[in-house]
Amino acid sequence: MGKIEMNRRDALRLGGAFAFAIGAGGLASVAHAATGPVTPNAWLRIAEDGEITIVYPLTEMGQGSSSSLPMILAEELDANWEDVVVEQLNRDDRTYGNPLFGNVLYTAGSTGVRAYFTPLRLAGAQARRMLIAMAAKHWGVDAAGLVTEPSLVKDPASGRTLSYGEVAALWDESISIPEVTEAHLKAPSDYRYIGTDMPRRDTKAKSTGAQTYVIDVAVPNMAYAAVLRTPVEGETPVSIDDTDARASAGVIEIVTLPDGVAVVAESYEQALAARDMLDITWSETSPARSFDSAADLAAYETVARDLAQEGAVWSSKGDALTAIGGAERQIARTYLSDYAYHAQIEPMAAVAAVDPDGKGAEVWAGTQSQTLTTLTVSNVLDTTPDRIRLHMMTMGGGFGRRTALMQDYVRDALLSSKATGRPVKVVWTREDDVRTGAFRPAAAQHLSAGLSGAEIRGWRHRVAAPSVIEFFNPIRWEQVKPKDIITMKGSENPFYALPDLLAEHLVTRRGARLSPWRGIGAAYTTFAAEAFMDEVAEEAGQDPIDMRRALLRDNPRGLATLDRALEIANWPQVPEGRALGFSMGHYGPSQGALVVEIDLDTATGTIAVTKAWGAYDAGLIVAPDNAINQLEGGIVYGISSALKESVSIVGGQVEQSNFYDYEILRANEVPEIEVELLEVDAPPTGIGELSTPMVAPAIASAFHALTGRRIRHMPFTPDRVLEALGTPT
Amino acid sequence: MVELTVNGKTVQAAAGDDTRLLFFLRDELGLTGTKFGCGVASCGACTVHVNGEAAYACQTYLSDLDGADVTTIEGLSPNGDHPLQKAWVAEQVPQCGYCQSGQIMRAADLLIQNPAPNRDEIREHMSTNLCRCGTYTRITHAVERAVREG
Repeated sequence: MGKIEMNRRDALRLGGAFAFAIGAGGLASVAHAATGPVTPNAWLRIAEDGEITIVYPLTEMGQGSSSSLPMILAEELDANWEDVVVEQLNRDDRTYGNPLFGNVLYTAGSTGVRAYFTPLRLAGAQARRMLIAMAAKHWGVDAAGLVTEPSLVKDPASGRTLSYGEVAALWDESISIPEVTEAHLKAPSDYRYIGTDMPRRDTKAKSTGAQTYVIDVAVPNMAYAAVLRTPVEGETPVSIDDTDARASAGVIEIVTLPDGVAVVAESYEQALAARDMLDITWSETSPARSFDSAADLAAYETVARDLAQEGAVWSSKGDALTAIGGAERQIARTYLSDYAYHAQIEPMAAVAAVDPDGKGAEVWAGTQSQTLTTLTVSNVLDTTPDRIRLHMMTMGGGFGRRTALMQDYVRDALLSSKATGRPVKVVWTREDDVRTGAFRPAAAQHLSAGLSGAEIRGWRHRVAAPSVIEFFNPIRWEQVKPKDIITMKGSENPFYALPDLLAEHLVTRRGARLSPWRGIGAAYTTFAAEAFMDEVAEEAGQDPIDMRRALLRDNPRGLATLDRALEIANWPQVPEGRALGFSMGHYGPSQGALVVEIDLDTATGTIAVTKAWGAYDAGLIVAPDNAINQLEGGIVYGISSALKESVSIVGGQVEQSNFYDYEILRANEVPEIEVELLEVDAPPTGIGELSTPMVAPAIASAFHALTGRRIRHMPFTPDRVLEALGTPT
Repeated sequence: MVELTVNGKTVQAAAGDDTRLLFFLRDELGLTGTKFGCGVASCGACTVHVNGEAAYACQTYLSDLDGADVTTIEGLSPNGDHPLQKAWVAEQVPQCGYCQSGQIMRAADLLIQNPAPNRDEIREHMSTNLCRCGTYTRITHAVERAVREG
């Protein structure tokens, strides 16, 4: 990546490359040189052979932005997509920072397209204007008369053309970098790529085994490490008997970590075998030994329901308390949700080769942030970013798992390499990742509303849950506290006409390691808010759809998603013995509606989702086919979460170990899914997490339609279903 | 001495070697298309074919493979153009892609046993393999396409 943000001397050494640079604040020329490949700005280079290299500033975990972001630039550049090479950004370079995360390099929150849409279009447009100006000068004509076609400049008057590669060869010192504004951007009707079903660039590699992830990296002389982690957070190894482990075949070194012991060996299986021989006495003083998920959730529930306890205000409009108090009737309900694990299929892994002086390293990692990986390495080695050579790898799933400030798996590899003088690959087993997992927080939510006639008067949403940000990124917490978007997102409920709304965060004691998880807070706040809305409608004697329609009176785009979802579901037609349910939902500025059909085995308490229909509004859709894939996958993730997923903790230890006791949805449990994106004239607003949060309330709604019973504790496992049905378990 | 065939090539391992096939493929032979996911035959990311049938490489030991014929994703087709692989591309199945080698090997196992499976048979057969991105719908469609287009 050093070829992109370069000073004049670097540019000259590179030869005649154009380099265009765009920071968060706009465009600025960086450098250019006399001959050879042309580098218009920080985002792209154009070689004389016509190859166009575009920088990908995020990291790829399956969301597809490594295709869609470069395509946005290619669109405005008018590049031939076949000429484009995508270059992974491999260091913490704030030139490319995510504008929605304070210019930190951070792949999260469904922000990729939303954040980079305008900067990348401007970068492409600037390069295109520059190429046109160069061709005009060469031909001695007015630039205003020239046009572009994919990867070439054309003079319609004469019919002459120059390929972008040929233009790149024309660079001379007199060429200036043109200013561009949004007025220079294409009209959407002129798009060649945006909004079309261009294939992702990684599909072939991911269908042949050729795609490499960090777990696949092999470097010369590499050793392998397995880590025995403290069974309870906060404990440390007090004494280590590693006599047998050290004598075990292939073992190179036993490395004491702050929260565990790493076994470094010639092969991974040798490391695993020796790990089993370690005899470690752990400290027994950690407060985390009192973590107990059932007791903790009961305590959260008590806090949520104790209205005398005030929370940190997450969102407030009007005067909810007065409105509720002044209404004819008051309705209140409590909803619970358990800890949930990411279950990304690639286990946590990293490769590090620490320099002999211990103050630098080459690191291979799959994380959601170049910035935070760089910070981790800097902190662990007590060094500076210039000593870090980072390789950001495609991830085998993220879902929030790889977002933490301290990336302990990267740390494990660094400390193991430093201790042995060898490059080391650390691989956590699945059991390591489950037992040391950082989870979506458990939450108890108490909602109340006033009713006068059929009108809602005031809406109060109390979320009793720990702060996720305080745990996973304490630096960020200092900047944002007491507002925790990760815990609270969704409860602001902006798309309904609820003029008197209060969303409060009752910050409870943390009872597990915590992390963002697909949909962050909305994964449970949407469940509570939408399930409660159904219950309020019932109390008001209203049809829940009619009540939503009234609340969407100022939100025609939201109403359109509801109408469309009902339409494609052929609501209310349903086969005998099954039932339909629905929910609205939003993630940031995107919104949508979902209808599900369920079947219920009343003997076992097993719910099956048999069909799902979703309609979504996420503004302009850059890559529709990939967006639909994401939405389908988000529904599957939501069904899995709603029906199956629960982490339990006793004595500070996670009780689950692997996919046999933390089960996620399998192929034979997946419904037929039909999703649709509404065409709207609005900027792109994000897809990746949109469809997940509304699944659980839609299932709860269907369960009520089928049984007349409410289910208020997620996941809706068979024991809870039977309890809701009044059947002794 | 254990001698087996991997993607048509003869390879050898020491007798009594209790290495699991998964790590032999990945770390000894560099065939990293076969993935480590759970280590306990619960996720299917390590699915390969042993003597023409799907097997979990994470629970298959070299010592049991003398004379065996092993096929991995790298050996499924000469140019990545097996009907399933073409269908995977046509249906744009993968998201993160990590599970997809195993999914394709599992699907190929189905088509060996049953060249024309119906949708329920596909879903049942594929339920050994987890996909956390939730591409199951597209996997089913891709298998159906491969059956259709061959």
